[in-house]
Amino acid sequence: MKLIKQLLVAGLFVAAASSCKKELFEVDYNLDPNAPPSDLYLNNATAQQINALGVGLQSVMRAGFVDFTRNAAAVGREVIFSASTDNRYFTELLGTNTAALGGANDPTGIFNGYYSSYSQTRRRAEQFITAAKNTNSITAAQKSSVEGFAKTVQAFVTLNLALMQGKNGIRETFSDYLTPGDLLKPGKFGTYATALALCKKYADDGLTALNAAGTTFPFTINSGFAGFSSVADFRKFNRAIAARIAMHQADWAGVLSALNGSFLDLTGNLGVGPRLIFSTAPNDFTNGLFHVANSSGAPYVVFNDVIADAEAGDRRMFGAGAKVGQRLDANGVPNPRQSGAFTSTHEVRMYASNVASASIIRNEELVLMYAEAQAQLNATGLAKTAIDLVRANAGLPAYSGALTTAALVDEVLKQRRYSLFNEGHRWFDMRRYNRLASVRPSGLIGTITFVVFEAMARPDAEVQWDLLNP
Amino acid sequence: MQGKLPGAQISANSGAPGGGFSVRLRGVSSINQSSEPLYIIDGVYVNNAQNATGAGTGPFSGATGQTAGTQDQAPNRLADLNPADIENIEVLKGSSAAAIYGTRANAGVIIITTKKGKAGKTQVSVGQDVGIVRALNLIGMHQTPWNVDKINKGIWLVPNSTMASLFAANGSGAQTTDYEKLVYGNTGVVSSTRVSMSGGSENARFFAAASHWNETGIQKRTGYRRTSLRLNADFKPAKFWDVSFSSNYLNTSSDRSFSGNDNNGVSLGYNLAYLPNWLQLKPTNGVYPENPLTGQNVLEIVDKTINNEKVNRFIGAITSNLYMLRTDKNTLKFAVQSGLDFSQQENVVFMSPDIQYQQQRANPGASRFTSTRAYNTNIQGFLVYNLLVNKFNLTTSAGLTRLEFNSRSQWFQAEGLPPGTSNPNNGLVQLSNLFNNRSRDDGRVIQQEVNWDDKVIANVGYRWDKSSANGDANQLYGAPKASLAVNVANFDFWKLKPLNVFKLRVAYGQTQNPANFGGIFTSMVPAAIGGGTGFVTPTSLGNTTIKPETAKELEFGADFALFSGRFGAEFTYYDKRVTDFIDVFNLSPGTGVSSFSVFNVGDFKNNGVEIGLNGDVLRMKKLRWNANINWWQNRTEVTRMVIPEKAVAATGFGAFGTQRQRVGSSPTAWYGTPNVNGAPTRYEDAQPKWQLSWSNNLRILNDFEFSFLLHHSHKNFNSSLNQQLTDEGGTSPDWSNLNKDGVPVGVARQLGQPGITTRQFIQDATFTKLREVSLYYTLPKKFLEAGPLKGLQQVRVGVSGQNLFIWTNYYGYDPEAANFGNRPTIAPVDLLSFPAARRMYFHLNVNF
Repeated sequence: MKLIKQLLVAGLFVAAASSCKKELFEVDYNLDPNAPPSDLYLNNATAQQINALGVGLQSVMRAGFVDFTRNAAAVGREVIFSASTDNRYFTELLGTNTAALGGANDPTGIFNGYYSSYSQTRRRAEQFITAAKNTNSITAAQKSSVEGFAKTVQAFVTLNLALMQGKNGIRETFSDYLTPGDLLKPGKFGTYATALALCKKYADDGLTALNAAGTTFPFTINSGFAGFSSVADFRKFNRAIAARIAMHQADWAGVLSALNGSFLDLTGNLGVGPRLIFSTAPNDFTNGLFHVANSSGAPYVVFNDVIADAEAGDRRMFGAGAKVGQRLDANGVPNPRQSGAFTSTHEVRMYASNVASASIIRNEELVLMYAEAQAQLNATGLAKTAIDLVRANAGLPAYSGALTTAALVDEVLKQRRYSLFNEGHRWFDMRRYNRLASVRPSGLIGTITFVVFEAMARPDAEVQWDLLNP
Repeated sequence: MQGKLPGAQISANSGAPGGGFSVRLRGVSSINQSSEPLYIIDGVYVNNAQNATGAGTGPFSGATGQTAGTQDQAPNRLADLNPADIENIEVLKGSSAAAIYGTRANAGVIIITTKKGKAGKTQVSVGQDVGIVRALNLIGMHQTPWNVDKINKGIWLVPNSTMASLFAANGSGAQTTDYEKLVYGNTGVVSSTRVSMSGGSENARFFAAASHWNETGIQKRTGYRRTSLRLNADFKPAKFWDVSFSSNYLNTSSDRSFSGNDNNGVSLGYNLAYLPNWLQLKPTNGVYPENPLTGQNVLEIVDKTINNEKVNRFIGAITSNLYMLRTDKNTLKFAVQSGLDFSQQENVVFMSPDIQYQQQRANPGASRFTSTRAYNTNIQGFLVYNLLVNKFNLTTSAGLTRLEFNSRSQWFQAEGLPPGTSNPNNGLVQLSNLFNNRSRDDGRVIQQEVNWDDKVIANVGYRWDKSSANGDANQLYGAPKASLAVNVANFDFWKLKPLNVFKLRVAYGQTQNPANFGGIFTSMVPAAIGGGTGFVTPTSLGNTTIKPETAKELEFGADFALFSGRFGAEFTYYDKRVTDFIDVFNLSPGTGVSSFSVFNVGDFKNNGVEIGLNGDVLRMKKLRWNANINWWQNRTEVTRMVIPEKAVAATGFGAFGTQRQRVGSSPTAWYGTPNVNGAPTRYEDAQPKWQLSWSNNLRILNDFEFSFLLHHSHKNFNSSLNQQLTDEGGTSPDWSNLNKDGVPVGVARQLGQPGITTRQFIQDATFTKLREVSLYYTLPKKFLEAGPLKGLQQVRVGVSGQNLFIWTNYYGYDPEAANFGNRPTIAPVDLLSFPAARRMYFHLNVNF
């Protein structure tokens, strides 16, 4: 009797245990319950998946935008992100600690975000090209259009990366972006010149692909590219970026030839150009350069020198609709902002909300590149005409200075300072012409010495990588 | 437990009510996975997760720029449990002891047994505690004097001229407010009520308990509430069969407010640091004056914001022993143990639109509702055979185990909330997120024990584990264990009778820890623009070749007892090596891939010594004094790495110090500026050089029992931003003292000033704490035999205190605080965390 009972109880447990084993729905633990596996998109993608990759790439074109602009504007002494609870934006970033940090910002610190963002977008563009090649769901012309689009994006983001890293150079070669093993063997760092040559190659390869790309893209183009969404119009954007690259290479003939294929319009609206758009939708980006007017939390405030150096009546700096405005308190009394050693009477007013769009490149910049190239090539009359177009647009009288290359270049740089204010140009303009030493404010201020960086630090992760993989 | 257990480093993440804590047994067990021990309560593998609440994200304190993160100041789930139900705690500190628990036991195992019923007349016990809570230590930020000269010499959040006119407009310091005291200087009240019953027959026994804990914090509108119901029952349906049930329902609620890192002026410590005592911020008619400096009125945060957490949790287990054979010489039993832990955690973080900093946001008014449901189960079955031959006791066991983890965390957040509601449905900008987590571990165990007349005890065993978190879910990873203990004093040749225990022991064991969930997946990432949703390839790749990290521990020890156990001593040395430890493998960021999310990257080791002395110092008729002294130390060193040297994730802020993984160095050591040839400078270690605890129990006149516990932690270093914050805000008590160059120290010490490096921020956090003091009085029996108390079994009253005193030179609220929560490498980063609390109670307990 006892034995029967024992067997019964034991049998019960075995049955209970085996019922646990055979579940009605066996869970597949090899499947990510949170997102689709990337293999599904990179091999034999459907037309729908190609569209999703195209939309995704446009989305991440905005990655790095805030970091890049914020860093470049601070180092170029345009704008301070006056974070009330983090003074590194107006100490470390303005060069107070270069001696201890090895020459620039902290390689392990908070100012390296742009580096990963741009590198990631570059790779994602490459993978988009690969996904298009690895599928039969789109035509050969469509594949070419994907390549043209993606290479143009690569040219745009890689240039920003190269500008920030300057003399440090960037990693240029990757044997294959897709094989994990090869991620362990990235190419060595090149020089600034080879980095720019790589950017030019991205743009030129993009153009070649776009020339074989039919008329439309096989994915939705966002409204920021209104006017640039057909293959033919997008080609003009490609050339605008190519012109910007040539300018940094000081290849003035190259600038003019690229501008020739771009949307440069010496008589038209200076505001025309593709834009980065923002929204508060899930997985979308908001414009991190927005701040509420006159706020005391973390406003973007302007170096006083920028205002002081502006010509009276410059609509870009003064009056309604200007890019900056005077900070006021609730009673309308001037309310300057202190950021460590710096007092700012004005703040940035470029973005009306956190979904306001931002220019990628526009006719105004093309006109100024045209002027600079013509000045450099001694076509001073053509340069002056272009400069006057920009001056008139800003409410300023025609240029009355000397018609020499040197004077006209100075004038172009001045117009660029205000036309492209807080868009990540000033610092690099000063560097292009070896004028970093004259960037103000810098040097000893109070008890602290401020150094204008020549380039952002190479991130510590890269330094450590090369130490381990010589 | 804090300070009592040699080899353990236990630290509170913050002093906020219901606050979490972190336990490290024998140093660091992982760099990037969990270093928390495994907790097993009555056979249930309990959930000790620390779930994100969103309190640290953009619309709230803004500590992190991401939408979720480690800076939420959230408690870990073990904090839910009711300590009053605990009968016994057994701690298996190292892999040598914990080996049989195999997977997930790398950081040791803490086995908690709750109270069981006793057969006989039903015993009823009723207890009531009342207590008060005060801040252990305040900085005195708002006793710092101000004057025009100070304002001229400082660097403030507004221009000096504006600061000067604010000073004048606010009465030039004639009227000051101690805001720190106003915020953290309150007295909290604790009330705890318990009822328990125990009884039954030989074949059916029960223990039932109900308790309610209610406390208010040192800050207004903070507090913690816990209701616990427990029913434990033991049955003997047949002579050869016993079954035990254990069940516990818990309901907790905590209001924690905001502390720690911050970018919005929301965290109170942070905000207080930048608040001069002359600024008038007290509300009039419900209107809070705006703070022109930090952009947020600190009192408004105290009075109007919500950071609440509610938990409903059920923990249940069933244990069964079926004896198939039971004779004098042989027993064979089939033991089954199964447990479940279900918890539903609900967090609400809310900022109404009229709050000052919210008005400066794009869409004022924000709330986030988070719900985390976790369901973990475990089952194990063992066959245990015991054989007694001559003086040999042989036990053979073999079994199977399975652990399953399943959780889902969802949050719904809105910004742009209209006044009068916290429901995110009403918000303008809505965000939501859902995350599933599931994994399963299976194990097989065999073990053989030999006990020769308590003279020699040997044990060998082997365990194989597989886990769905491994790259190959079907691969079994083996882990051996072996131990030998020799009771020298039990042998016949032993003549030194006063030394009646002399035991030598050696043990070796291995345990494993699989990668965190998700480490094997390479999945697409959603990215939207212009109303369309797209996907981009991930920047963090999965690794399908990941193996578990393995801890191998060799331990030597000796135990002594003198005079029938009146004095005892224990010495242990251990060498614990963690091989193939799992970490994020940061790739060259220039490749566009940030990392492999998990990778077996190298090895590290912990070496430590633990010494315990205890004894009845006095054994007099009217006074018995038992004292216990523990001293321990641990050293950790990385011995191999296949990846580049790097900062340990989430362990600090750049120049303020971060921990670093470097071969030949401790992963808990701090690094920072100056960078010499690109290499950061090494500073001291976050791990203490050594720790000492001294606990005492005195029995006076039979009826009084007095206990106290002192704990000393020696040369443990924190990355502390406390001084920096109060210097920037002008609230350091010594701000105006001049240094040798005639500059106020409050200016000269700030980052960015000449000569200031990370040295300034790596601070010695050595402390001695009087952790516990208690005095109990048990009413003598004669009062219970007659008179009004007749019929009561026992009446006990007492007073006690926790964290009564601290001796430390550390600048801040608590040398044990950790901004990033439970990090594997401890990482005590202090940004004026919630102050530690001093607690004092009155106790009354009656049994009848």
